[in-house]
Amino acid sequence: MSSPTTSAPEPPRYADRPEWSDVIPVEQYENVNPLAPIFYKDIYKDAADYFRGIVKTGEKSQRVLDLTERIIRLNPAHYTAWQYRYETLLAIEADLEDELRLMDELAITYLKTYQVWHHRRLLMLKIRKPATELVFIAKTFREDAKNYHTWSYRQWLLAYFNDDSLWSGELDFVDELLNADIRNNSAWHHRFFTVFQSGVRDGEQDTERILRRELIYVKQSISLAPNNASAWNYLRGILDHNGIPYSKMIAFVQPYTLPNDDQKADLVDLDNPPPSKDAHLPCAAAVEFLADIYEAEGGDSMLKATELWKSLGNEHDVARKKYWEYRIREGLRAIQT
Amino acid sequence: MDDGYPTPTSISQKATVALLVQPPISPSSASKIPQGILDNNLHLGYLGRHLLQGLPARYTSQDASQSWLLFWSLQSLSLLKVELDEGNKKRASDTILAMQNPAGAFGGGPGQAPHLLPTYAAICTMGIVGSPSTWSQINRPSLYQFFMSLKEPDGSFRVSQRGEVDVRGVYCLLAVAKLLGMMTRELVLGTREWVRSCQTYEGGFASATIGVGEQSAPLGEAHGGYTFCALAAWVLLESEFPSDKGSKSINLKSLRRWLVNMQGDEDELYGFRGRTNKLVDGCYSWWVGGCFKLLAELEERRGMSGKDAEEPIWNPEGLKQYILYAAQHPAGGLRDKPPKSPDMYHTLYCLAGLSVAQYAATASTTTSTSTTSSTSTSPTFRTIAQSAPSQTSNAPPSLNATDPLFNLTQTHAEAMMAYFKSGEVEAFQ
Repeated sequence: MSSPTTSAPEPPRYADRPEWSDVIPVEQYENVNPLAPIFYKDIYKDAADYFRGIVKTGEKSQRVLDLTERIIRLNPAHYTAWQYRYETLLAIEADLEDELRLMDELAITYLKTYQVWHHRRLLMLKIRKPATELVFIAKTFREDAKNYHTWSYRQWLLAYFNDDSLWSGELDFVDELLNADIRNNSAWHHRFFTVFQSGVRDGEQDTERILRRELIYVKQSISLAPNNASAWNYLRGILDHNGIPYSKMIAFVQPYTLPNDDQKADLVDLDNPPPSKDAHLPCAAAVEFLADIYEAEGGDSMLKATELWKSLGNEHDVARKKYWEYRIREGLRAIQT
Repeated sequence: MDDGYPTPTSISQKATVALLVQPPISPSSASKIPQGILDNNLHLGYLGRHLLQGLPARYTSQDASQSWLLFWSLQSLSLLKVELDEGNKKRASDTILAMQNPAGAFGGGPGQAPHLLPTYAAICTMGIVGSPSTWSQINRPSLYQFFMSLKEPDGSFRVSQRGEVDVRGVYCLLAVAKLLGMMTRELVLGTREWVRSCQTYEGGFASATIGVGEQSAPLGEAHGGYTFCALAAWVLLESEFPSDKGSKSINLKSLRRWLVNMQGDEDELYGFRGRTNKLVDGCYSWWVGGCFKLLAELEERRGMSGKDAEEPIWNPEGLKQYILYAAQHPAGGLRDKPPKSPDMYHTLYCLAGLSVAQYAATASTTTSTSTTSSTSTSPTFRTIAQSAPSQTSNAPPSLNATDPLFNLTQTHAEAMMAYFKSGEVEAFQ
């Protein structure tokens, strides 16, 4: 809830501008004494009163762009001002590329606002130049690499225009972000989106090879920093998506379920990279994973699973004790029936 | 736990944990917060000040959310078992009705364009302060038309004309349709499948979904706010039009796992985060904490729950710690986390989360609103019931229960639904 800082002198009010004298400003509440009124600064109240006046007459003109820009800069969440601005741009056939350049500035200033990103989408539907947009978005990630709106806008661009030349740089782009922060879950999600949810792209027809590549990528990521929920979720995600049983991972997972002292240092298995030497072990996510393998085996293995769930609830993941107790109840019920 | 491999995520996590140290219990302190007790009067003062004296200029950022400001503050009062006097109830209804558009929907303020989100907040506020005489001023036929005009071929809805499509809008529309008795097959055709396709590989739900060639893919990662909206939307649809046996459902197993993993560890005072590897924030006490009742309802429908169904699968006692020690602001109101300022939004969603935690922790079935006492604390606020101080021990709930689908007390939600089901109301179609 940050208010924009104004270092420049305040611009003149619409009420003081002769060229606006033909507009009749409209007060917000006319016959109501509102509960929880906001004490607006004069400059905002002035602009909002004139905006209501404009909406009433339906005027769409260059000066409406000036007025809506002022409101947006004072309150970027004013969706009605955005909506009216967009209609005005179309009505007066304004240069939408100019508008996009203005948006480059506003998007960075008001990164967390729904409207700046939605307005951009509307503009892009007309301008249809998604490639330069991807470059702009990459720049905004320097401000905030997990901004939800920016990520969903990027994914929309890729999916909507769905052009091989757009998709082709995505994997390298994700790599760069994951190299900067291997715990960036937005980037992991984008990797999943790009690799598994974008259809089959040129050079990606060999699904076996893709899967091998992703498995080694995620295993290496886990090896670097084992207690990273994003990477474990990605591993589960690609196994589920491709219908691969978790048991295929048992050789990889097992060392992560043991304490640091029990690690075998001499073996080098490129398919199953071991935990880093500074890792905090045993890793709860690995114990959970191993328990899932035993649970899927059923029968006597269910008891091994319940032992692991017990150790999670009592030792490795105490905050979720009630969940692990639930898993034990459900597991035991499954073998009794 | 950075495994000796620090990155921006683990560095900000470490900084946050340092701020969340539980203060030592000091019974001699005048303030209740260090004792882990909900300071009802402090928060009532905060809410009363804002409602009656108004909001400072920084709330200009909420100028397009005015019905939300009323909903957040009045539902907070309801949870604290307090209601406005008749004069201010009328003022609240008049304020909301001034935001009603000829299209029948509500805008974020008078003269603002009709929009699904402020419409939900407006209708819920009317549920709290309204009565049949004000409810009759809700224009259902126009509102229904407006809803239909926002519908997309894939079953989703825009939030406004030319607005964005996301699960917030879908949830707000369905909640209002349910409260006002306007859920028709026509309205929700295709919506179920659209909501389902927002579930991500992590188990939680994303903001929306988009078709890529033959497939559809979630836009954005699993997120607490969107997950609440999607799950509540799903339950609203299931309860009105139960699905056929063979039809595709959401994945409850991965959802359950994702939800419990949003709860923080001891060093985070067991608060909830909204996404994997993000920081805890008081508002997810409701957005994530509120999901467990909905999940349990779905499990019950599928006959999945056994005799232990009332036993929570998450840690409600822990969540109380976060809200009472970290989210309560010493000057009143509740917040994201220290050292942030409180605001209306966090005040409601922290209190709603605390209510959920209190009822889950006692595993009690008492969910009714008490309406007995007539003790007056001030001419403006009327206490609906006396409440015992809340503590992090297994104390009986001090707050009212809130309905997991609407975030209204059951009394308010049921009265409104009963009115719109009754014969006095004109048809909307």
